[in-house]
Amino acid sequence: MSAILEARGLGRTLPGERPVVLVHDIDLTIEPGCFTAIVGPSGCGKSSLLYLLGLLDRPTAGELLFEGHEMSGLSGDERAQVRLEHLGFVFQFHFLLPEFSALENVMLPMRRLGRLDIDEAEARARALLAEMALDGKEGKTPDKLSGGERQRVAIARALANDPALILGDEPTGNLDSHNSARVVESLLSLAHDQGRAVACVTHDLAIAEQADVRIEMLDGRIEKIVDRRVGA
Amino acid sequence: MIGRFLFLVSIALRHLARRRRQTVVAVSGVAVGVGFFLAVSALMVGSQNDFIDQLIESAPHIIVSDELRSPSPQPGTRVFGQGAVELHGYKVRTEVRGIKDWSAIVAAADAIPGALASPSLTGGVTLRLGGHEEALAVVGIEPEIETQISTIEDQLRVGHLRDLEKVQGGIIIGEELASRLGVKVGDIVAASTSTSKARSMRIVGLFKKGRAQLSSNSGYVLLREAQSLLGRPFIINRIGIHLADPYAAERAAARLERRFGYKAESWQERSSEFLSLLVTRNVIMYSVVSAILLVASFGIYTVVSNSVSDKQRDIAIMRSIGFSERDLQLVFVVEGIVLAAIGVVVGWMLGYVLMEILGSLRFPIAGEEETIPLDRSARQYAIAAAASFLAGAVAAWLPARKAARVDPVDILRGAV
Repeated sequence: MSAILEARGLGRTLPGERPVVLVHDIDLTIEPGCFTAIVGPSGCGKSSLLYLLGLLDRPTAGELLFEGHEMSGLSGDERAQVRLEHLGFVFQFHFLLPEFSALENVMLPMRRLGRLDIDEAEARARALLAEMALDGKEGKTPDKLSGGERQRVAIARALANDPALILGDEPTGNLDSHNSARVVESLLSLAHDQGRAVACVTHDLAIAEQADVRIEMLDGRIEKIVDRRVGA
Repeated sequence: MIGRFLFLVSIALRHLARRRRQTVVAVSGVAVGVGFFLAVSALMVGSQNDFIDQLIESAPHIIVSDELRSPSPQPGTRVFGQGAVELHGYKVRTEVRGIKDWSAIVAAADAIPGALASPSLTGGVTLRLGGHEEALAVVGIEPEIETQISTIEDQLRVGHLRDLEKVQGGIIIGEELASRLGVKVGDIVAASTSTSKARSMRIVGLFKKGRAQLSSNSGYVLLREAQSLLGRPFIINRIGIHLADPYAAERAAARLERRFGYKAESWQERSSEFLSLLVTRNVIMYSVVSAILLVASFGIYTVVSNSVSDKQRDIAIMRSIGFSERDLQLVFVVEGIVLAAIGVVVGWMLGYVLMEILGSLRFPIAGEEETIPLDRSARQYAIAAAASFLAGAVAAWLPARKAARVDPVDILRGAV
């Protein structure tokens, strides 16, 4: 199966008098229908790698191919457009916009993309929230939602523009075990049932255990890749 | 495209709705600035227009006189103008004063749409009554035309200009002169010049006191009366021209002067010192007002700048979703413009109220109740709005640029 995202010799170094190497010489592929967990101790560079894969940061070495296209030559606006159309992010601290209701938060990416009119966007946002078992909470602002609910709203928002790739940065880091399990279940279903590629940085052993592919990092490098898919 | 813009505007509005107190302060700043701009400019422009109206209407818009700005070329120069000949020591011929071919000038002036030309002859006479003598500048006019081109009729205390046509040898003089001579309407005085013998004139009207020039030593008679009194039949030495658009006077005057050679003076030229004074006044007014609006823009800067600082995480998340730098910049610039817009509307209302108050004031000047001349034109409202929008956009643009430059990775790294 062809990769959605492919990194070749990817590296990121913070410039300065004493340059800091965040990640170095990363080779990996992320495939549709596959849940990838990126694990490693704090400071091993796994979040930095995720920002590079999510086109939020620019690599200082190597190349990154998204659906076969080289990304490093794109302008900031073009990268923003790729994020808008093809990527969805789920962060540890949910990052919902506090002025907007759950429904409006989910509609944000759709309205920015502008392919659906407002009614269509609202219908799609309601459906996504319902999938996350959040029906009835559409009108609530983030401060009226529990932590688990907020994270599920964030997942619904990540799915708004039907992205091929979902990236999670410790998506369960702030949740209790019950809510954590529900979130993991949702993310797994995105990969296995909907055929999307999902990649999550995590400390959470439960996620790492259930992942199809586990990338173990240490000191900015990939230490080991464990692929547990059938036939791998 | 428009949908996206409205969407970004709606985000800006949400931000502002969340910080009401700061919004109110910033809006009040703009409103006060706009309100006082309107009040002050209504006063300044109003008094200026009033003043200019008086300048324009006190005399014809263009006065063509029998003077030349430079002496007319001598026949020798005219004939050999192209030749390599220089001529010195001319004996200059004495020419009869007065505008030659004046009917052509009057016809040319009348041909300008909405314009009317009034020929007149002025000269000096002496009025005598008993042993008393008074020098008088006498103006010979056609009453029917003169009433249409000047406000002299309004300056009359007694009588009408048209009365000159009804009474043989009629003359209108000023109240002050009349009291110096001790005469009233209907009385007869003797008028003479250095070259003619005295003739009797009957007073048919009096100019009001207060207009020094008219009241103390001017006299109006019929044009043909003046021509015979001054011994200059068929001659006129002044053409007053009234235009439909007084501001076209400069161009029209230049055209007439080029064509006929006689000095044609527009009202702007006659009152150029006053007009340059008005320019200074305007510069002062607009600097004060810009300062007010500048201060108002500080309020907008503060609100937008705080908004950007508070929204770092929101900015990061919006960037990660796929909002571009320009989108974010627009959101915050729109915040500034919205503040300016609300401020402008409130300021318009404030300005309107202030103008109503100013307009209701009455001042007794020289025994007459006068109101302050106010300019309430839409132009002032538009200037206030445009200046506020500009100030608001610039004040918001500076912090908005900062918002656009937020690196989402820095924020995300810090938060995790």
